Amino acid sequence: MTSGTKNRWLSKTAVNGVLLIAALYTLFPLIWLLTAATKDAGNLLGGDVFSFEGFDLAHNLSELTSYQDGIYFRWYGNSLLYAGVGALGCSLVSVAAGYAFDKYRFRGKEKLFALVLLGVLLPSTALSLPLYLLAVETGTVNTYWAVLIPALVNPFGVYLSRIFSAGYIPDEVLEAARIDGAGELRTFWSVGLRMVMPGFVTVFLFQFTAIWNNFFLPLVMLSDKDLYPLSLGLYNWHSNANADPAFYPMVVTGSLLAVTPLIVAFVVLQRHWKAGLTAGSVK
Amino acid sequence: MSRSWSRSVHALVGAATALAVVTACGGADDSRARGTADDPVTVSFWAWTRGSQEVVDAFNATHDTIKVEFEEIPSGGLGGYPKIANAVKAGIAPDLLSIEYPQLSAFVSQGSLQDISGYLTEDIKKKFLPQTIEMTTLGGRNWAVPFDAAPQVFYYRKDFFTEHGITPPTTWDGFREAAKQVRKAGPRTRIATFFPDDPTFFQAMAWQAGAQWFRADTDAWRVHTTDPASARTAAYWQGMIDDRLVSTASSFSPEWTGSLKQGTTVGYLGASWGAGVLAGIVPEQKGKWAAVRLPSWEADRPASGMIGGSTFAVSKGSSKTEAAVEFALWMSTHEDAINARIGASTSSALPASPAMVPIAKKAFDTSFYGGQDLYGLFEEAGASIGPDWVWGPSPGATNSALGDALGEVAGGGATLPDAIRRAHDATVADLRKRGLKVEDPS
Amino acid sequence: MSGAPRPASGNDGGRPPEAPSSQGRPPEAPSSQERPAKAPSSQGHPSKALSSRARTRLAAGTLLAPFFALFTVAMIVPVAYALWLSLFTEKQSGLGFDGPRTVFDGLGNYAAALGDQAFREGFWVLLGYCAFYIPLMGGGAIVLALLLDTALARARRFFQLALFLPHAIPGLIAALIWIYLYTPQLSPVVAAMEAGGIGFDFFSSEGTLPSIVNIALWEWLGYNVVIFYAALQAVDRSLLEAATVDGAGNWRIAFSIKLPLIRSSLVMVLLFTIIGSLQLFTEPLILSRGSGSAVTSTWTPNMYAYSAAFERNDYGLAAAASVLIALVAAVLSFAVTRFTNRKEARP
Repeated sequence: MTSGTKNRWLSKTAVNGVLLIAALYTLFPLIWLLTAATKDAGNLLGGDVFSFEGFDLAHNLSELTSYQDGIYFRWYGNSLLYAGVGALGCSLVSVAAGYAFDKYRFRGKEKLFALVLLGVLLPSTALSLPLYLLAVETGTVNTYWAVLIPALVNPFGVYLSRIFSAGYIPDEVLEAARIDGAGELRTFWSVGLRMVMPGFVTVFLFQFTAIWNNFFLPLVMLSDKDLYPLSLGLYNWHSNANADPAFYPMVVTGSLLAVTPLIVAFVVLQRHWKAGLTAGSVK
Repeated sequence: MSRSWSRSVHALVGAATALAVVTACGGADDSRARGTADDPVTVSFWAWTRGSQEVVDAFNATHDTIKVEFEEIPSGGLGGYPKIANAVKAGIAPDLLSIEYPQLSAFVSQGSLQDISGYLTEDIKKKFLPQTIEMTTLGGRNWAVPFDAAPQVFYYRKDFFTEHGITPPTTWDGFREAAKQVRKAGPRTRIATFFPDDPTFFQAMAWQAGAQWFRADTDAWRVHTTDPASARTAAYWQGMIDDRLVSTASSFSPEWTGSLKQGTTVGYLGASWGAGVLAGIVPEQKGKWAAVRLPSWEADRPASGMIGGSTFAVSKGSSKTEAAVEFALWMSTHEDAINARIGASTSSALPASPAMVPIAKKAFDTSFYGGQDLYGLFEEAGASIGPDWVWGPSPGATNSALGDALGEVAGGGATLPDAIRRAHDATVADLRKRGLKVEDPS
Repeated sequence: MSGAPRPASGNDGGRPPEAPSSQGRPPEAPSSQERPAKAPSSQGHPSKALSSRARTRLAAGTLLAPFFALFTVAMIVPVAYALWLSLFTEKQSGLGFDGPRTVFDGLGNYAAALGDQAFREGFWVLLGYCAFYIPLMGGGAIVLALLLDTALARARRFFQLALFLPHAIPGLIAALIWIYLYTPQLSPVVAAMEAGGIGFDFFSSEGTLPSIVNIALWEWLGYNVVIFYAALQAVDRSLLEAATVDGAGNWRIAFSIKLPLIRSSLVMVLLFTIIGSLQLFTEPLILSRGSGSAVTSTWTPNMYAYSAAFERNDYGLAAAASVLIALVAAVLSFAVTRFTNRKEARP
């Protein structure tokens, strides 16, 4: 009995120890970002980042807000717009398609699905250049649409949604709804979509992250600074920092603020997600 | 599936046709040459050089027939050039572009720029340092208005050199000796940095030594990146790297900037524009720096190449050539423009127009260099810029091959003589693929 | 362990009961080797079957239309355009100061890409990267997810959050942070390693692969842990309880019960890790520019395509390189799906 307790204690320590080491690995660079954001240019490049010497967070923040009339926050808003609207639209479209792929049968279904999978494989660089030239043809280059429309498409989201649909929506439930006389679309909207909600949140979160992080497409599509998302704005500053190190603290502080909403979103949605998962397995 | 396929083929053919039409016309609707005060001509302008916004503001404040719309873009190597190339391809390029000398021939051979020979009269050309006009003239035509010349100089920590009794070198042999003394004074300290990320750094060194990588005086390009002067330069710097006499951090990287701040890099082989940059990077070292002529191969024959340097060029699709050239000339040759750029920012550019040098000299604060007469030095160095250097038509191919090889040199995986050989092969292959005539002497 | 598998639990746990008969199937259904219909199983009455079929078609069409409309605009058309572009090249004459003309070049761009050593080397780099990265990533994520799923783990919410957070960092910012952490004389990590007697230069030629693998691992480890953990959470708890009652140990539960139940997640992550590797771009690009790293501008095939388009302005070559990359990706993932389909087909 005592040896069992001891064993249990040992394995508990081992399990949590390994998790802790992994967490340290993932958190360390973020802690660095956090402390680096408080440094002025001199201490960022010359001093010890983990000391309190050269503590200058307030100055960095005020630089951030005042540079070019607070254009940073405009970029912030743009990023929220691209990522929020794009991810919402993308998840809806993807879940609808994934549901259809899972629950219906029709001619050429698997071929069509294979086409979707091929879409997942396309290297982003292969797409960006023709997308750009097409955007020029349609006059959408350097507009919100140029970034937003490609963001609405994520074949991976459809793939995920099909899997989630298979996992979360038992066919019996749909059958029951149909017996109750609900139409197909109504069944999807009020039964299917609700049951697959954890999957919807997953697709949303991943697409949100993907758009928030995307930088190459905006780089080629946008030339008007007022339309920039954060990643592109920060990249611009990073390239400026080459000549003027005063930009280094702005890039670092700007980066810190840029990652905050995703962290918040994840914390908030994690609860939702878990609740969804439990609900899904209660049947 | 098959239906959507045929639809997309239609769309694609349509798009391609439309593209061909756009390329063919080059866009030319608003051919109005001059505006009026009520209805000014609007010139769009892209640049990333320091003080550009200030210059544009100054221009707009004093002109009413031309209005300039300025857009700051990322610096060339970090996305600016691709952006310009894309915009030209798409037919939405601005009227006026800031392009560095090395890239000029690439944009010309892509057909992205307008021949502005008609606007640059002999009188106007005489306002510029002859080498800069030479470098903006390709195939007998003028393609850009030079803005600055970028001769090389050696910046060094005067306090460190004085403290350890080291004399600033005047020859490359002397430089090697001085490098040893610096390392002796501080084991982690280096006299300067060989920048592996910036191919134009090495090219300027070869240029200074008398190399001529490209020649276009016949009807074919003569490519020779491994000529004796280049080989000599490569061997010298390989020795410096092997003996750990110089560091190999990337230019303006955190590593390099950090080493300046920590005092483990006490010199900088840079160009004239580097003075302002350096003062911005380590403002706390004010008064401790000084500059001298770049060391030369022979003590009595000072020479210089160029690192970067900007020009203004008019894009192919622009219909406002005259206004754009007028604005470009104003930026390069008007007192107000020089004052706005150098006074308001910390640019230390050496104007390509000698008449502007005194203005720049007055506007630039040299207290970082203990009040030294920097512009006097720049002018001397500028006059010694080797006049025979020509940039090839495919700097993208030359420089990415050279840059990659230099990165490996710094990482210990290759040597400089290999690097210039690889640059040669990549360049010749690219020029041939483009259908250009190449003469390969090596 | 007798708990009957429930349909809703594992993704591939148990399929719902099959449709009773084949006579109600829509006539255009491909062949009998496909899985039996799960959708409206109509029984008997022909009129009912007909209306149900039309209903099904309409519903499927409506649900699929928005996605495929966007898919066509944002993917199919650009791909077709890339294929088209890859057939053309720009030719100049003499010294080239008269501008280029676009000419049809057949497969010339493909020959040029395949003939370029830099392009071919990119694939070798990728192979090395995958050999290094995939086992580290897959093994690490599985182990961490299983640990999180044990009853022994504490602060699960914190650990999930901590592990996932790097994924919230844009690749650009991640690369910037790691550049600092790789830079000699600035990095506390390099300093600590040196103090510990490990002198490793992340910027050297040997350091390129480890430094990129590390950034990718950092960014994606938690993401995959979360996917695995979510799948594990969906595993029917009563199954595990039954196993515990039967005396199965933690290891046995983990490897004999949990892992097989989340197999489809494992396959998915494997597939997307491979595809993701082929798309490797942003991080090496940032490292290749001005950081001091020996990562070259054509380090991966994607970077080659980017460099061809944006540094050498050779759009035809870039398009051809992109098409070749997509082809390799298609072949690889076909192989992976084939392999796993065969496994899934087993009883």
